[in-house]
Amino acid sequence: MQPSDNELVELVRGGDDDAFRQLVERHSRPLFRSAYRITGNSADADDVVQETFLRSYRGLTSYDSRATFATWLHRIAINCALDLIDSRRRREGRIDAGEDLSLLPSPAASPDRVVLGTEMQRAIAAAMDALTGNERTAFVLRHFEGMPLEDIGQILGTRLNATKNTVFRAVRKLRHQLQPFTGSPT
Amino acid sequence: MNDHLNHDHLNQDEFILAYYGEPAPDANRDHLASCADCSAELARLAAVLDRVEAGETPEPDAGYESRMWQRLEWRLPAERRAAGPATPRRPLTRWLAAAAALAVAFLAGILISRSERVSQQVAAVKPAAATQTATATPVSTGITDQQRDRILLVVVGDHIDDSERVLVELTNLTPNGKTDITSERERAEDLLASNRLYRRTALDRGEEQMATLLDELEPVLLQIAHAPAQVSPEELRSIQKRVEAKGIVFKLRVVRADVRNDTRAPAVHHLQQPTI
Repeated sequence: MQPSDNELVELVRGGDDDAFRQLVERHSRPLFRSAYRITGNSADADDVVQETFLRSYRGLTSYDSRATFATWLHRIAINCALDLIDSRRRREGRIDAGEDLSLLPSPAASPDRVVLGTEMQRAIAAAMDALTGNERTAFVLRHFEGMPLEDIGQILGTRLNATKNTVFRAVRKLRHQLQPFTGSPT
Repeated sequence: MNDHLNHDHLNQDEFILAYYGEPAPDANRDHLASCADCSAELARLAAVLDRVEAGETPEPDAGYESRMWQRLEWRLPAERRAAGPATPRRPLTRWLAAAAALAVAFLAGILISRSERVSQQVAAVKPAAATQTATATPVSTGITDQQRDRILLVVVGDHIDDSERVLVELTNLTPNGKTDITSERERAEDLLASNRLYRRTALDRGEEQMATLLDELEPVLLQIAHAPAQVSPEELRSIQKRVEAKGIVFKLRVVRADVRNDTRAPAVHHLQQPTI
């Protein structure tokens, strides 16, 4: 029978690096997916996963099992991703076109749909980029990952009402930015 | 719409909660079910949000977990040391070497402050000579913040030059059969240790842009340092893609150009651009 996360954590605390290897192998993939959704590119997502495990290794003494280990890791990963987004924005002050390739439509789409789809996807990418780190994260977790607001609040370190307000702001901004494409009043 | 007159229309926030199926008071649900205006507004919101789809998330290949572990494993001893003194320690030669480099830089600054010939002497001062001089020279004499900044610029400038050279050499290689990258690997390993120290120094000094650049450089150096001595075309392409994806060579050149300007300037007084 596989040891639980908490059992492995105890072994790591006792100096067993192989137990940490098992945690890395167990959680790398889901962390990559979450990091990719927030950062928008694979290289950054890789860095986020790596930094997440390093921070978690450093901070294992503060892990107290109140949240599951996966949730705790996820929270660290989101913070790493937010740090990365913030530093990237401060540094570049612009959108790197090369990072949005994943948002381009499938090559199998018809030419008309490619044009419309490309414009729409670019608008979505721009609208997402205009969100603050917290807004983007809250929206990604709620909209794409279907995470309950309470869990998002745990990750962001905010109370339920504040979490709701973050999602509300994100949706309002997106709706406003996408209004030319949808014709929907804001 | 008479059947819902006893309840106000939903507000925008309530529509968002309704779209995501969040728990709502019975009155809201009843109203939404019976009010054509609110149903239409919810449909308009859904028409927008339904179009916000995630780009396809790439699935990491089968070896992802192992590679991630390889990237982490060798760093754990250092993390343990940083976390506390209880665990056995390995030799700190690399860190000491990097620390020594910085110390030499500062001490060289003392010499320079005395002779007022900053940039020429930095290049000439040898570590051993600098150390010997330092033992005979009170550290408290005369170095100004500006001179210290200038010394750091020179040292970090060299680090950036060396890093850029390694990356450019690798990106110029043609992925064709097994390629020997022993030299680049060893240099990346050396640069890695000093990179961390300089990054920490940059952070301590509030030089966020420089710290960010060095932060970006680190995983690239890491990947090179831990690549096999003989890389396959795929492995080499993976390194090259990583270097190119980050645009790190371009960023290094930009920062290096700024650093050169700063070291040529008669006085270091503008440290807003990437500096340390």
